[in-house]
Amino acid sequence: MECHAVINSLSDYLDGQNVWISDDEAKQIETHLTNCPTCQNFKLELNEIKIAARELPLHTPPRAMWTRIANQIEAEIAAENGPLRHAQNASGWWGWLRSRRFTFSLPQLAGGAAVAVALIVAAISGIFGPHSGTLNLSGVQTALLPEEDEIKADLERRLNAVNARKAQWDAQRRAEFEQHMTRIDESLKRCRYMLGDNPKDAIQQQMVRALYTEKRQLLEDVERLRW
Amino acid sequence: MVKEIPAPNAALPFKSIRKFLSALAISFAVTTAMTHSASAQTFSRTFAVAPETSELEVVNQAGTIKVTGGGHAARIVVNARQNDNTAKVDATQNAQGKVKIEVTGQGAVDFEITVPASSNVDLLCYKGAITVANLGGAVRARVTDGNIQITGLRSARVEAHSTKGNVSFSGEVLPSGSYTLKSFSGRVDATLPANADFRLSAASFRGGMDLGGFQMKFDRQTHQLVEASHGAGRASISLWTQEGSIHLHRKP
Repeated sequence: MECHAVINSLSDYLDGQNVWISDDEAKQIETHLTNCPTCQNFKLELNEIKIAARELPLHTPPRAMWTRIANQIEAEIAAENGPLRHAQNASGWWGWLRSRRFTFSLPQLAGGAAVAVALIVAAISGIFGPHSGTLNLSGVQTALLPEEDEIKADLERRLNAVNARKAQWDAQRRAEFEQHMTRIDESLKRCRYMLGDNPKDAIQQQMVRALYTEKRQLLEDVERLRW
Repeated sequence: MVKEIPAPNAALPFKSIRKFLSALAISFAVTTAMTHSASAQTFSRTFAVAPETSELEVVNQAGTIKVTGGGHAARIVVNARQNDNTAKVDATQNAQGKVKIEVTGQGAVDFEITVPASSNVDLLCYKGAITVANLGGAVRARVTDGNIQITGLRSARVEAHSTKGNVSFSGEVLPSGSYTLKSFSGRVDATLPANADFRLSAASFRGGMDLGGFQMKFDRQTHQLVEASHGAGRASISLWTQEGSIHLHRKP
């Protein structure tokens, strides 16, 4: 499975693995994610956005407002009902689509918007271009610690060295390593998200630093082992 | 006239079944033992070392590493066992006397090593467990997936770190000592003398902290982070876990 196909299906995959996509496709995505750190990072980003969207406060409008909106919609539907049926027959699926009423919850809208933004960013970065084979989302995140760019560069160098050796490992060892990395990355993204809200928070800074150290330690260990 | 029919010997078939089952059990045990002894590989090496500069490094892929101090004053004795034959154990000693044990391959190897009590040890195991006991030298223990247990230490420098496992330490706290215990997803336990002098930095993102009744002077205290000192605060103790909990215990 190619990176762009995985990215196109990731949102469905995260929504509920075998509700929106087939079991086969889910397996292909999982296999790809195990071997592709960039898509893995993309998945983490998307997941983080979904989590953040879920945590947004729900605003309940006053009952009177709903009543007014509902009355207005009913009135419009009643007025357009006849011509609409005719238009639907005339313009096929587009007419049918226009006649449907879609309702989305706030998290769904936020998730959809997040996917749209991510796809635009990806498109701008040229990931779908003919000369680019890998995803690069590192520019999306801004540094929250003074030394963060340096830390990331070091981690990327180590990760590349480890990735070059991963072919020698058995599948189980590879999967376990990916799991460890994913868990650390998820925590790191969570802590970075919190630090982003309050960049001067010394405790969150310490947490983020500790997680970078953890990630570096894991990579160092793997570098020390001769498989 | 009723002909008396002799009662069948009820015990007979049960006796036979018992005998059969016993024979089956014995043959199974013998076969298992033979198979086990045929596949288990053992490895044993002894190295002469200078007690004051004794140094050991172990790099293991999977299995356990158990290091105990105080066996022989001038020897490192390495015993290893693997249950399949897929790993290779290399044991070397460099010109400075440092002993290095390195496992290559995918199999699990269990080590039992005795060292002079003052030895410095550096232990790495990707998947398994590390146990260190009765040492006075510097200890560095690192496991990616497994527990670390350190007991009876009288060491000035300890670093124990597991990504997915628990870390526990029990020992003396020397005035100039530095003790770092970390786990990403496991629990961190430190058992310290009640009168120990130390400066504590403890951070737990999710799991909470139990300071074990140590009466400390707090510089900073939140539900995620504690910076405090006990007694004269001379040694440095750093405890960290992202997802687990932290527990201090007072040794009577």
